[in-house]
Amino acid sequence: MSELLEGLRLVAATDVLVAVFAAAVYGLVVGALPGLTATMATALLVPITFYLSPIAAVATIIAASAMAIFAGDIPGALLRIPGTPASAAYTDEAYAMTRKGRPEMALGIGLWFSAIGGIVGTVALMVMAPALAEIALSFSSFEYFWLALLGLMCATLVARSSPVKAIAAMLIGLLISCVGIENPAGTPRFTFGLTDLLGGIEPIPALVGVFAISEVMRAMVSPEPARLPRRRFGSILRGQWALTRRYQGQMWRGNVVGVLIGVLPGAGADMAAWVSYSVSKRFSREKEKFGTGHPEGLVESGAANNASLASGWVPALLFGIPGDTITAIAIGVLYMKGLNPGPTLFTERASSMYALYIIFIMANVILIPLGIAMIRLATLVLRAPRSAVLPVIVLLAAVGAFAIGNNLFAVVVVAAFGVLGFVMERNGFPVAAMVLGIIMGSMVETNFVTSLIKSDNSLLPFFERPVSAVLATITAGALLWPVVAWALRARGRAGAAA
Amino acid sequence: MHLPDRVSGAILAGLGALAAYGGSLLPGVPGQDVGPSVFPMVIGAGLIGCGAMVAFGIGRSFEAPGPADAEGAAPGAPPPRPASRFGGLRALLPPALLILYVLVVERLGFLPTAAVLVLVTALALGARLRIALPLAVAAPLAVHVVFSRLLRVPLPDGMLPAPW
Repeated sequence: MSELLEGLRLVAATDVLVAVFAAAVYGLVVGALPGLTATMATALLVPITFYLSPIAAVATIIAASAMAIFAGDIPGALLRIPGTPASAAYTDEAYAMTRKGRPEMALGIGLWFSAIGGIVGTVALMVMAPALAEIALSFSSFEYFWLALLGLMCATLVARSSPVKAIAAMLIGLLISCVGIENPAGTPRFTFGLTDLLGGIEPIPALVGVFAISEVMRAMVSPEPARLPRRRFGSILRGQWALTRRYQGQMWRGNVVGVLIGVLPGAGADMAAWVSYSVSKRFSREKEKFGTGHPEGLVESGAANNASLASGWVPALLFGIPGDTITAIAIGVLYMKGLNPGPTLFTERASSMYALYIIFIMANVILIPLGIAMIRLATLVLRAPRSAVLPVIVLLAAVGAFAIGNNLFAVVVVAAFGVLGFVMERNGFPVAAMVLGIIMGSMVETNFVTSLIKSDNSLLPFFERPVSAVLATITAGALLWPVVAWALRARGRAGAAA
Repeated sequence: MHLPDRVSGAILAGLGALAAYGGSLLPGVPGQDVGPSVFPMVIGAGLIGCGAMVAFGIGRSFEAPGPADAEGAAPGAPPPRPASRFGGLRALLPPALLILYVLVVERLGFLPTAAVLVLVTALALGARLRIALPLAVAAPLAVHVVFSRLLRVPLPDGMLPAPW
């Protein structure tokens, strides 16, 4: 109880409250502008967080990402251009509703069910994380090795692309993580004699490159999106309570799917929305109405993408394994702020964890008034031409990367990863899998080598320890699943042909 | 920059071979079976395998239509311009400008370098001079205030120190 009060005290500090509010406004604007994603918003925030207190730093990330995921719905509903990839799954549905003359309804669903999803996700985080922390306290390097490997496999399983390309992307990330002397043997690897590479490739400039610069590169070769016509809106929240009661089952299903996908390493809000939307369609009694401006799918996937945000923090806080690309960045900030991920975070820094939960709840509550204000101002914000916003993004990417270590080499890393991300995306290689590889590469290797040293080069303990054995089995299953799925599909096709 | 799967597969396999070869040259650690060379070699082997599978089109049937296809074009939007021969190279402008920034920022100073970066990007994205010029003046100054004054990041002064 005293820790809860301490958590409240931490959150009530002026700098934290200002940080939450400022980050919320920033997240809403960035999320609403097409082509600027929630991950990009977070990545560009990192240099700022260096200069904030630990709680304020984490608060900005939480508030900005929650707002950005909702705000992505705004251009989706009004222009049929998703503001963030997390809204792409149901953009057509929301736009169809606007065409029917009910944009308030479409935006209201996005706002109301985002907030509910966010709060349910937070409750899931509050329940799951401490319980898992109890178990995780007994984990040693053997279990951590399997967890890291399992996390890498998950990222390739859930990617919306060919599993082969996803694994290839992950391997590229692992190869990148090999660079430098930060390996168990302390041998310089792939440094090509460059001092700048000795320390390895910093994940944050790499992420800024992949998520910000490659987005600007894409804009360079795509036409400017349509302008938003001026429009006045009626009441945003009218009728939402009736929808909540009518589609209660779908809402909960969306929340649960969102939470589960959030916990899976590497799969975040966009995946949650795609899965929820298709689940909703599949089990709906009014399938034929989907795609014509029907609220059911919007309710379910709108709840799911925000629910996944909070639960993405579960593996991040417990094991340092990112639940999605946003927490991939957050982990870097946690380390920087002395909140090193691990089960002891929940015993020794319990008040900080309470503060984190409170910030999540707070962010999702202020989402509603700020969201309404943003919807009313959307016609104004969305008129900002791309050619004025993106140059500033490039400048912020350069300065932000430099600010992390006062090192110009980081800017080179940003440029290189911008090109890499752009080329990979164009050719169907999921960049999220590569990002996970970069972040978890050293975790896999260090835990593997440490375990071998402990066991005197014997592989047996990897399979003998009970939790290890379970994790090993799951990992093997994840590894074999694409093959099984491929075989089943090939059989199905042969059967259909016969 | 859309490469046929055969080409991207070959690039991956080549990268894998290089990684495995480079890894195999690394010295081992006495008394330890798994030295620094093992991971690069495993990753290299994996990349060679994946590269071959990509090149032969295995697993392509899993590829869902990407978000780009799913979105479609907004109604009323102009049809995408046919890519000219140099159209694709425009994409390389942002990273090129970043490299330029690294090369000249110390000598030229932050404000002029940043102004060039913003101006060129804005013009390349089709901004009119009426918007691009004020932006190129205002954005570097604003960024300088936040990062140099508030966050104490040592942005180089170069030839044109900030007026504060």
